[in-house]
Amino acid sequence: MLSVQKTGAPRMGGVRNPVVVLSAGFVIFIVVAALVGPLLIAHDPLHQNLMTRNAAPGADFWLGTDNLGRDVLARLIAGAQFTLLVGLGGALIAFVAGAGIGLSALAIGGPVPHVVFGVVDLVRVLPGLLIVLLLIASLGPGTGPVLFAVGLSFAPQFAYVSRAVWVREMQSDYVASARTLGYGRIYILSRHIAPNIAGALVTQAAIILPRCIVTESVVSFLGLGASPDAPTWGRMISDAARLAERAPHAVLAPLIALVVLTFSLSMLGDRLRVRLDPLRRASATTPLRKTMI
Amino acid sequence: MKQMVALATTLGRSALLVVAIGILVFFFLRIVPGDVVDVFSVEGDLTAAQADMMRKELGLDAPLPAQFAAWVGDLLAGEFGTSVRYQRPVGDLIVGAIPTTLVVGLGSFVFGVTLAITLAIGAALWPKSVFAVMVNVVNVWSIALPTFCVGLVGIIVFSIWLGWMPVLGNIWLPIIVIGMDIAGQLVKTLHEELKEATSSAHVRTARAKGVHPIRLIVFHLLPTAAPLALALSGIVLSGLVGGTLTMEVLFGLPGIGSLTLNGILGRDYPLIQATLLLLALAVVVLNGLTDLLHTLIDPRPAQ
Repeated sequence: MLSVQKTGAPRMGGVRNPVVVLSAGFVIFIVVAALVGPLLIAHDPLHQNLMTRNAAPGADFWLGTDNLGRDVLARLIAGAQFTLLVGLGGALIAFVAGAGIGLSALAIGGPVPHVVFGVVDLVRVLPGLLIVLLLIASLGPGTGPVLFAVGLSFAPQFAYVSRAVWVREMQSDYVASARTLGYGRIYILSRHIAPNIAGALVTQAAIILPRCIVTESVVSFLGLGASPDAPTWGRMISDAARLAERAPHAVLAPLIALVVLTFSLSMLGDRLRVRLDPLRRASATTPLRKTMI
Repeated sequence: MKQMVALATTLGRSALLVVAIGILVFFFLRIVPGDVVDVFSVEGDLTAAQADMMRKELGLDAPLPAQFAAWVGDLLAGEFGTSVRYQRPVGDLIVGAIPTTLVVGLGSFVFGVTLAITLAIGAALWPKSVFAVMVNVVNVWSIALPTFCVGLVGIIVFSIWLGWMPVLGNIWLPIIVIGMDIAGQLVKTLHEELKEATSSAHVRTARAKGVHPIRLIVFHLLPTAAPLALALSGIVLSGLVGGTLTMEVLFGLPGIGSLTLNGILGRDYPLIQATLLLLALAVVVLNGLTDLLHTLIDPRPAQ
């Protein structure tokens, strides 16, 4: 494992890689802003004031107002909460559904894994956005369905990762000895395999987190996201896009926030992959995978 | 013989996949209450009696298995049904929308693959040139920038600030935006592979002989790069479908993406079923083709 890694991201010495530091800083900044921001901002993200619509950034409204006179900064902060929720929630749902189903199937053994992964193969062929659209079409709009749809669309990747690590661990010597000693699959799974695949799964979650965020923003942008009033970044972008001529700041603020946040999260996720992922040798030549749709 | 078996397996799997997706789409759409008649009721103040009558007309009052059988029967007869919202045969709508989607999808694919091959070859031959920088720039570009964000900024800059082109119906901007995205996903892997190719014996010999760079590229590197890029393109498919869909909506292009979205917004079952099935079919076929290409280029994994 000491060999030189050929990963997509250039390996600069230690943690001091400036891109990683800046990314971490920005993510922390957004998290703090989402938590503390609402206490500091005087404006209500939902308060409309048609007298001050499309106001340019200034002393009163730091980032200006949108087409309904709502404060862009306040909406940006409210949107940050929602965006982080979608990222974390989506990754969590993908994790529970993907790794949960995948590992249970493998633990049961027999023909079950073949059937389950056959189904996973089926779903995986469809483009993620189509799966999300189909799920939203059937579940209806709203925060819950969107979260669920985004999470489920990424579940197959967790299933694959858990299977890959499972197969590798099952061939290892310590599992072979545990089996020789007569321990059951469940015991081996919980005592030996689970701790060993945690790293790979955490990495996968970190990689999927920004993808969930972008998918949600695309869905919101298409008008299928949470409720029309909810200040999500995708919805802010799509609402303000129609009036980009008069109020470009109202489009650019959420757009830049979205781009920088997802980029930062991708960079951190990739960093984590290089650090933690025991599968990295297998995918050493795989370049930094794409985050976006 | 082995290849024939592999081909048959692929075809069988693909067929099974399309059938499974059809079933999935049909029943998923009907899990949640609220059909097209409800949408009309809200929009047009239908009375309960009118709504019931409309449901009867559309066959939505029949039990699900019967509806499913009717749909499959129609499909087998080559009928996609009638869109409730557009009041037109779904087949006609799709035929009308396909050219737009094909132009955008194919155009951006060709642009993206060409760009990726050009940059990868340039960077492999001249590692210190601007090509090498561009490989990284395009790669990071596609990681950092969702296509709809790029498209929007493009609209703001080129259409609104500079006034160069109209926003709606513009086809060049979407092609460039999706193409850049595709190039970014391919270029890094392609570059890695070509770096090995340039250090291989035949390329070194050719360079030592003083073969002209253009000759070197056309006869020695392109034959390696082009099929490789096509085989790799399986990984960009899902991005291509998603990107085309979003760009169509953003630029107001009358393609399959816009049609699907309108169908979903209006809960127009026949339309959504047809477009989703069509998109799934396209993805499955293209995936099968790239897999096949992969085995033709590098038969090792299949054996």
